[in-house]
Amino acid sequence: MIFKLSMTGLKSRLKDYLVLFSGLSAASMIFYMFLTLAANPSFLKSSVAGQLTMQSTKFIFSFGIVLLAILTLVYLAYANSFLLSMRKRDYGMYMMLGAKSSKIGQLIFAETLVTGLLATGIGIVLGVGLTELVSALMVKQLGLTLAHFNPLYLPAVLWTLLFFVALFFLAASWNAVRLTKTTLINLLKEDQKPSKLKSRPVLRTIQAIAGVALMATGYWAMWHVSTLQLKAIPIALVTIVLGSFFIFDAFFVAVIDFLRKRHGFLYKGMRPYTLGQLKFRLHGYTRILSAISIMLALALGAITVGINFDNLKNAMTDVMYYDFVLVGKQKKLADKVEKIGTEEKVTYSYKADEKKGVLYVNKSEIDRTPLKIKMYNAASSDKKKAIDKEGQIYHTVKVTSKTLTGKQTTATIRNSAQAARLFPEDSSKGFVALSDAAFAKKKLTTKVIAFYKVEDFAKNNKKLLKLIDQEMQLFSKNSMTYGYLEFTKPVLYQQIAAMCSGFEFMGLFLGLSFLMMLASTLMFKILSAAASDKLRYKMLYKLGARNSVLKSAIRKEIAILFVAPAVLGSLDVLFGLKFFTLLLPDPYFRIWIPFLAFFLLYLVYYLVTVKLYQGIVLEETKQD
Amino acid sequence: MEKVMTVNNVTKTYGKKGEKQFQALKGVSLSVDKGEFVAIMGTSGSGKTTLLNIMSTLDKPSSGEVTINGKNIAKLKKNQMADFRAKEIGFIFQDFNLLDNLTARENIALPLSLQGVKSSEIDSKVDKIAAKLNISEVLEKYPAAISGGQKQRVAAARALVHEPAILMADEPTGALDSKSSRALLDTMELLNEKDQVSILMVTHDPFSASFADRILFIRDGLIDEEIKRGGMKRQDFYKKLISQLSENAD
Ligand SMILES: Nc1ncnc2c1ncn2[C@@H]1O[C@H](COP(=O)(O)OP(=O)(O)OP(=O)(O)O)[C@@H](O)[C@H]1O
Ligand SMILES: [Mg+2]
Repeated sequence: MIFKLSMTGLKSRLKDYLVLFSGLSAASMIFYMFLTLAANPSFLKSSVAGQLTMQSTKFIFSFGIVLLAILTLVYLAYANSFLLSMRKRDYGMYMMLGAKSSKIGQLIFAETLVTGLLATGIGIVLGVGLTELVSALMVKQLGLTLAHFNPLYLPAVLWTLLFFVALFFLAASWNAVRLTKTTLINLLKEDQKPSKLKSRPVLRTIQAIAGVALMATGYWAMWHVSTLQLKAIPIALVTIVLGSFFIFDAFFVAVIDFLRKRHGFLYKGMRPYTLGQLKFRLHGYTRILSAISIMLALALGAITVGINFDNLKNAMTDVMYYDFVLVGKQKKLADKVEKIGTEEKVTYSYKADEKKGVLYVNKSEIDRTPLKIKMYNAASSDKKKAIDKEGQIYHTVKVTSKTLTGKQTTATIRNSAQAARLFPEDSSKGFVALSDAAFAKKKLTTKVIAFYKVEDFAKNNKKLLKLIDQEMQLFSKNSMTYGYLEFTKPVLYQQIAAMCSGFEFMGLFLGLSFLMMLASTLMFKILSAAASDKLRYKMLYKLGARNSVLKSAIRKEIAILFVAPAVLGSLDVLFGLKFFTLLLPDPYFRIWIPFLAFFLLYLVYYLVTVKLYQGIVLEETKQD
Repeated sequence: MEKVMTVNNVTKTYGKKGEKQFQALKGVSLSVDKGEFVAIMGTSGSGKTTLLNIMSTLDKPSSGEVTINGKNIAKLKKNQMADFRAKEIGFIFQDFNLLDNLTARENIALPLSLQGVKSSEIDSKVDKIAAKLNISEVLEKYPAAISGGQKQRVAAARALVHEPAILMADEPTGALDSKSSRALLDTMELLNEKDQVSILMVTHDPFSASFADRILFIRDGLIDEEIKRGGMKRQDFYKKLISQLSENAD
């Protein structure tokens, strides 16, 4: 009997349930995708260079999972309270009809758990599809070939299930306890509670001013992050969180009150209603709106920073001058490299005394075509001071026999030349430059090494990577040469690129899932009030407000509720990105992309909310 | 006598064709003169609200004709109907009268604001009607903070502020105690007598009905009887009404 009632209750709220459901499914879908990409052992295993990148990818995604788990927790709490508010009246009704509260408790428990499990199940299925798509995209970006990647990864399925089941179990217990402890009368009258609109103008004014002041302090701190350094973080965190709260709790209300007193402004069409409704709403929305503005900032920040990491990989490869190294005489490989188009090529012969750790080079050879390396511009770590006239922070240094042997150079150049490991063999005891005759006489095998600089490294990197891969196959894995080749430019570039793409994808997906969850949280909040707003719109309709007027009033009201936290959140991001000047070349690079993506996504949520809300509140005024 | 409203052979059938249908009004005709106070009485389910909704353009008749101030409302488009309600009709309802998120002043001002009246004019009109209905003190309060009787007077003020052709009330005293009911009815009577406001009131309460000039009885979707007050005193009219009702009940 009760079960049947519960099913009919569900049916009548089907639309609301679908919204909740899709929100929950999206959460588990994204969670699954992260887990699969981060933990799947066959992912990226197929190439030698790929093995290296796997480590960083794994790390990045694990980090993403932790963040996502925290967010999911918060989101579920909101979604759950929506679910609860949705069902409260129904439960009250069952109780009135004589159902025992323990029975109701079981029912709520079962309902929450079943809803959660179903949503998780669907989310995982969708997650498999999404993973397929994302991995394909990543592979295309990184230029790797995947041998046995399967988007359906059982451990990830299990972990996702486990995590969500645990969360829903908690939510279900919480709901059961909450609802059975609320008195019957409160359950039934939940929607009709008179609005508590205490006006304490003095306190509100103080709060409003404090809110603006706190926000200003937070923004100031972030803007001056270079002088405040790490101190800026706690300052900004406290002031912005508190400030946002005050802004929504007092500042906006103060603005509305101000406008409501200006009758010249107020008495225009539906304005009295819209402003009254907004004030009434803001009261109950303070927490959610401030949370949204802050999380939105995090989401936008994640996307922006993610996109920026892509930028970083080019900057990081500036550290190395040569694009490719051939150890020994590799005719076939040399031809292939030359086919790519070489800008510069230098070849040296040398002899290595591996017991002593000394390398012998031919003096005339190295002085004729000195070896080039990249040096950091300044001794200090201050990046600003290091930028030269051409906007570079590295300059090219020519390494001659004198530099190599340390006779005519600074300690930094000598050290960095050694650190760069110019040759595969051990040179820890230094270099010796010999004349042609002396070099020829040395009783050690002559080795050759060729350094290449190619045309357009970024474009040809994937080809070079394949060649390095082939070159590495020629040496045993434990040899010094193998290790040396692992630190050549194509491999490092690939690694950094993998890390950057990882960050980029993580930023994007984390950001987008943040956004989706936020927007749906706000949607839930607005829609959960629709039932009680219905009477108000019916009233307005009877008073002679045209349906089109009512619709536009709804659009405006919801727009303000969406825009207010968006504006605050955008400001948070614009100032917050200053933090990343410590880490990234230009954190504001291509900032329009995340803003545009966010705008579009948010717009969709806004339109859906408006449509659903109008559907609920204008149900009875639609007659032909 | 000039007529503000005529209803001609109106029927209303609920339910679509093929579904279970129910005829709530079976051919109702009536008219309201300018400045007249008419009450409609009937038992629960007799069709009072249905009739009022049709007369106020909130619902459409299945057949028949309604004219208000000479305009045939069937010929109006949806938006014109809304405008028509906004201009020509004032409403008082049994409950959920006021928007609880607006102050009393804003509630009263809303119909004028919707019509695009100038704000300076709105303020003076609101103050005037509030003074007349004795609610000037509560204008800045929210509905939750004023008494039931005051609420209903605020609702009356809102219904009258735009000087409609006709005031329609559906059980206006239904949620009030006897003292507040009395005060509201006195106010309505006063408005009717002094300002010549035409009033159409639906009620099942004989005391309320006794304030009217004329009472129509509706039964099973048909107007079945009509009694006029003539020059009678209200108390006498009330007694007559009571005896009439007990006669009908037999
Ligand atoms: N939307 C509807 N669909 C179907 N039937 C309806 C609808 N509205 C009213 N009815 C029926 O029409 C009849 C008249 O209803 P109406 O609301 O007009 O009665 P009433 O006289 O106002 O009663 P009360 O004094 O209880 O308010 C009732 O039998 C009712 O069940
Ligand atoms: Mg009725």
